[in-house]
Amino acid sequence: MTVSNHDSVISTKDLGEELAKISLDLAKRDNASYAELRLVNTRSEAISVVNENPASEEASTIGVGIRVLYKDLGWGFADTDELEHDSIRETTKKALALARGASKLGIKVNRASEPVHVDKWATPVKKDPFRVPTETKYELLQDTTKRMKENDVVARRGQMTFDFIEKYFANSEGSKIFQTLSYAGVSAIVAAKGPTGVQRRSVQQNTGGGYELVDEMDLPGQALEITKDVLALTHAPTINEGKSDIILSGDQVALQVHESCGHPIELDRVLGYEANFAGRSFLQPDQLGKLQYGSEHVNIVMDATLDHGNGLGTFGYDDEGVKAQRKFAVKNGKFVGYLMSRETAPRVGESRSNGCMRAEYYKLPIIRMTNVSLEPGDWDYDDMIEDTRDGYLMVTNYGWSIDQKRYNFQFNTEKGYRIKNGSIGEMVRGPTYAGITPEFWNSCDAIANKKSWVLWGTPNCGKGQPGQTMITGHGASPSRFRNIRVFGAS
Amino acid sequence: MSQKMEHQPIPLRERAHEIFATAKSVAGKAEAEIILVSRIDEYLRFGNNELAQSQYSTSRNLSVRIASDKKQGRVTTGTLDKASIERTVEKALRQARDSPEDPDYLPMPGSQKYRSVNRYSEKTVEAPAELKAGYIRSAIDLAKKNHLLASGVLGTSVEQVMMLNTSGLEASYQGSGGYFSLTMDADNGNQTGYSLSTFGDIGELDPSKVSQTALERAKLNKNQAEIAPGKFDIVVDPYAWSEMLLFFAVSASTGYSPDLGMRQYKEGRSYLSGRLGEKILGDNVSIDDDVYHPSQAGPPFDGEGCQKSKVTLIENGVFQNVVSSRISQHRYGAASTGHELPLPNPLGELPTNLVIRGKGATKTPEELIGELDKGLLITRFWYVRETEPRTKTVTGMTRDGTFLVENGEIKRPVKNMRFNQSLLELFNKVDAVSEPVRNFSEFQQFRILQPGILARDFNFTSVSPF
Repeated sequence: MTVSNHDSVISTKDLGEELAKISLDLAKRDNASYAELRLVNTRSEAISVVNENPASEEASTIGVGIRVLYKDLGWGFADTDELEHDSIRETTKKALALARGASKLGIKVNRASEPVHVDKWATPVKKDPFRVPTETKYELLQDTTKRMKENDVVARRGQMTFDFIEKYFANSEGSKIFQTLSYAGVSAIVAAKGPTGVQRRSVQQNTGGGYELVDEMDLPGQALEITKDVLALTHAPTINEGKSDIILSGDQVALQVHESCGHPIELDRVLGYEANFAGRSFLQPDQLGKLQYGSEHVNIVMDATLDHGNGLGTFGYDDEGVKAQRKFAVKNGKFVGYLMSRETAPRVGESRSNGCMRAEYYKLPIIRMTNVSLEPGDWDYDDMIEDTRDGYLMVTNYGWSIDQKRYNFQFNTEKGYRIKNGSIGEMVRGPTYAGITPEFWNSCDAIANKKSWVLWGTPNCGKGQPGQTMITGHGASPSRFRNIRVFGAS
Repeated sequence: MSQKMEHQPIPLRERAHEIFATAKSVAGKAEAEIILVSRIDEYLRFGNNELAQSQYSTSRNLSVRIASDKKQGRVTTGTLDKASIERTVEKALRQARDSPEDPDYLPMPGSQKYRSVNRYSEKTVEAPAELKAGYIRSAIDLAKKNHLLASGVLGTSVEQVMMLNTSGLEASYQGSGGYFSLTMDADNGNQTGYSLSTFGDIGELDPSKVSQTALERAKLNKNQAEIAPGKFDIVVDPYAWSEMLLFFAVSASTGYSPDLGMRQYKEGRSYLSGRLGEKILGDNVSIDDDVYHPSQAGPPFDGEGCQKSKVTLIENGVFQNVVSSRISQHRYGAASTGHELPLPNPLGELPTNLVIRGKGATKTPEELIGELDKGLLITRFWYVRETEPRTKTVTGMTRDGTFLVENGEIKRPVKNMRFNQSLLELFNKVDAVSEPVRNFSEFQQFRILQPGILARDFNFTSVSPF
């Protein structure tokens, strides 16, 4: 099934077609070499309970983003939430004026070709979240936070979010694409105070789809487990600084992939367009096909197709009308591909973008991760633990930091366990690991198989100026890394 | 193009009253509050010595809160025709009806008196895109002349806010501002220099100073030496560390919720719970929340329309106060300081206008460098995250120019380093402070006035390859 925009009295597709005709005709008349329009109609809901306090917010936005290229030399972008014809004309003129100005400081833009697409696409949804009563959602969250209530627990929080987006895209090349995209997010956090200070345990997942995620996550069931964990962590020992083998939980591997692979393969960073904020990249074009980024076990894909899973990076088409694709970024450890736009692909000799331009309607699309995923390996998870003589298991991220070229990273996790002679032993608090990206991925000697592989979601990836937040997907399974620098968080 | 277009000045007051009349008629006996926000943003973004992205953005956002029988709901919309407003209020009514009772619910506040702030600059609003493009062209020309690549953004914003509720409250605000952020680099970012300037009035911006600072740092930051990590005395440029200071007021341990509010403090959620009256920072460090400071920005009222007060959080190192709200007043009897977020808000109060003051803060950043016998000058911290809440230990990197200083003079650039440092310890080891400046971070909406500092024993733990 798909979700419908129950409250909307207009057809986003029909309105999009009407407004696109006005805007694209005007852009053509004013000698734009390329123009595109996105009409985006979004409905969102966030419901949370913190301790005893409920909070909910629903939001709906609709607006148009218009991007034009003038004389193949300068881009202009303007947006508006006023959808009358005059306003669309005025917004198109603003984009054209900015493009003309930019063309005076621009360089020749050669865009990779893309077939014309006239199509529609929808995120598969099993259970429409906007048809689930608000009372039902609150009951589940209150049940979750009640189960966390224990002495020494200082903060209890449960939350669910749902987004439904209707997006109409048209460009001056003839593409006309209508998509409906649905996303869900569920999380619970518990914090407790004890002799070791404040400790935190959390569970979180964000995917494409609907309320089925809430059913699958069983927050009340997990609440008991993370509360038991957090109370134990307030008395758990830390770990000594040194070198150790480590096994990371799947959700932690997912964030490691996001930060140390997903960002450095963004070609706009490599070309210097993010140098002032998000930074550059250590992965240079002359290393394509040559650099041994990781060990032979490491395969990382950029995959926006539904075959990969219903993730935060799954869609039919990106925000410049390029069809979703699957490509390798790292194959058998070798660095082989970038995330590229139509404009940047030719700069590294590629004939086609791999479809990763994304933004809200009021932001200019930039290169963003789709689903950047570590492919599953062939290890059974239990065998991986059993095969580890001495090391640590580290579970669920607490904090993350990496330098602007994506070399030097440090991640601390919420909880860990000592592994001794193939068995999981004592719990430890705040286990932290750090390293240099290529050295780290080259130390990967075991990746758990498909049984342990999950397509995780990152709902808050920041990039761009003015700042843009994007949702990205990262498939991963627990993985082992040898001889890594470890220490305790404090 | 300027931001003074046919929308300017937006007749927001009349529009807000029209919307409010519609909202009241649909809400019936329920309490209703509306917040209407209108924004115009213009950004000229450049990279690789090209003007890569020019963006003009207009938006209007209506947020409606409905409360009835101690239950409340909030719905926002960007569509402001009468039918959409009616649907929005109906949705808020349904949401309030279907929500559980809020144990902290209070009737909406009535008419308030506000201290005026003047934050609307015609000059900023009227500044044509050509003027801003000219500043960027100069920066790019300077970079090209020196075989460097310029990248960055020059952005200006105009914001207007109107707030009304059925208890008779009416609050309004208009403000403008902007920032010019610039990096000059070469050799794939192995040689970089950074500079930032913020302004309320674009007339305050000295674009050539921004360009010259980025250029000088980039020219100096070449062939960096690798030095062993360890403890170093440091000078932090005032524009270098807004991301770091965010963590003084927010904790990851409770899901990035604020720390310096009364509710969090009393519930034990704050990392400073139980420590009021204790000396937690050095004698020469004081921190206020002061929306009225002439260099600050934003409205003088909080998320439910109550007037904000100036609150001294830390005075000469002693933790003296937390910010509060009507809910805290009701719960704990503490006077409200006007620091509520839009309701319903289960997270607690938030100081949004921090001002970090230092004793003797009359020095320039250059004078701080002059006082450093041996140590490092930090021009930009990057990717700061909390690792441990009790000591407020954070990790992060340096970027875009880290320099070894000896006998008060910059000697050579060094490779970027990672730090793991307790903020509480850092503020106990501050030797000298410069005048605070208004910072800006892409990551946060806090408005922090922060000084440059000279501090001892900053803990660097590893080195990057560049």
